[in-house]
Amino acid sequence: MDGPQDLGGKESFGPIEVDSPEYRDDWERRQWALTKLVTTPGVTIDWFRHALETMPPAVYLSVPYFQKWNANNMALGIDAGAYTLAECVSGKAAVRGASPPVVSVDECEAMQRALSVDFSREIDAQPAFQLGDPVVTDARPSAGHTRLPSYARGARGKVIAHHGAHVFADTGARGDHRAEHLYTVEFRAGDLWSDAEAAEDVVCLDLWEPYLASA
Amino acid sequence: MPSFDTKAIEKIHRDLHTHLPSDPALRVKALESLVVEKGLVAQESIDNWIELYAERIGPKRGAEVIARAWTEPEYHARLMEDAGQAVKDFGYEGHATEHTKAVQNTADTHNLVVCTLCSCYPFSLLGMSPIWYRSAAYRARAVKEPRAVLAEFGVELGADVKVRVWDSTAELRYLVIPERPAGTEGWSADQLAAIITRDSMIGTARDLALEPS
Repeated sequence: MDGPQDLGGKESFGPIEVDSPEYRDDWERRQWALTKLVTTPGVTIDWFRHALETMPPAVYLSVPYFQKWNANNMALGIDAGAYTLAECVSGKAAVRGASPPVVSVDECEAMQRALSVDFSREIDAQPAFQLGDPVVTDARPSAGHTRLPSYARGARGKVIAHHGAHVFADTGARGDHRAEHLYTVEFRAGDLWSDAEAAEDVVCLDLWEPYLASA
Repeated sequence: MPSFDTKAIEKIHRDLHTHLPSDPALRVKALESLVVEKGLVAQESIDNWIELYAERIGPKRGAEVIARAWTEPEYHARLMEDAGQAVKDFGYEGHATEHTKAVQNTADTHNLVVCTLCSCYPFSLLGMSPIWYRSAAYRARAVKEPRAVLAEFGVELGADVKVRVWDSTAELRYLVIPERPAGTEGWSADQLAAIITRDSMIGTARDLALEPS
């Protein structure tokens, strides 16, 4: 979707704060932990990302990163019926639950390791493209979630890797967890940007087959 | 279960924006107290997760992996073939590393990693990302003017060096293997790991100093 998250190539954000730390405040660390430790059943990575993209654009572009995660965790929980808006605003549970066991640091580490999740799937369809094939990406904006950034729409590139089929983000964000062939496609900077710094530099993107056509 | 309904989640986000206090610290406190009261997490577990990332998970892991690749050609080959598998030798697999791809800097190629659509990062190998990596400025500019971005980090590339930018649009993650500096012949893997910086594994640094920073 043409949301505020689609930042590649957008202008006027100014210099990069090259010495910025990982966190500025303690609440950022706590939100990071909350996001990883408290998940709403049925929420996938694709629905998480899509939900975040639907924040009011002016808010998305102006608040600290982990504030967005905080709002998104609340929104996803409200959407799935885990919390109400009133509970999120007050910080008080309508009904208190029993205290769960403490997750130790070692158990946190085991949870962290288990987040090495395999997104590849076996599918019957043969890949439509081979290494070296010239391809062109869909030029049309996607109505829903997509991982084809706007700067690479309608662009000509070359397939440089095939990764088998992976769970398809666009349908996954709608609750349809099918898989499609996934490729790495290399684009010449000069084919993406009229004012490229160096035309022969390249940008590589991981793109699913439905984004691509033969060129 | 989630609604998977764009309009529904959009409205919830607008309502939250209208009703929540503007101070993010208060918002996080509200969510924390809510989920603790609901019995979804214990407060101490939150402290433990923070301790995990403060003490055990950070760029030293990625540096150790790369130092081994520099010193063992067989491991280097496995890392290039399937980094997500190769890091399992160390038990360093985790958040988002299953499909990691290693990309190698050479005298005439420089690799730079970004996620323009969100902020994908190989957390289990590099720890928490720096704020700049998650910033709009980096996400916007790295794909369009990588050389100007690199210059802000102090990396000046000549016209003879080609830039390869990797935009992490799917579930692959990228780990840059910097060039091993001259003058490190005979160094142990531990000595080498000490000079490999986080930024060199993202691609915003290029030449490694022989003294640990």
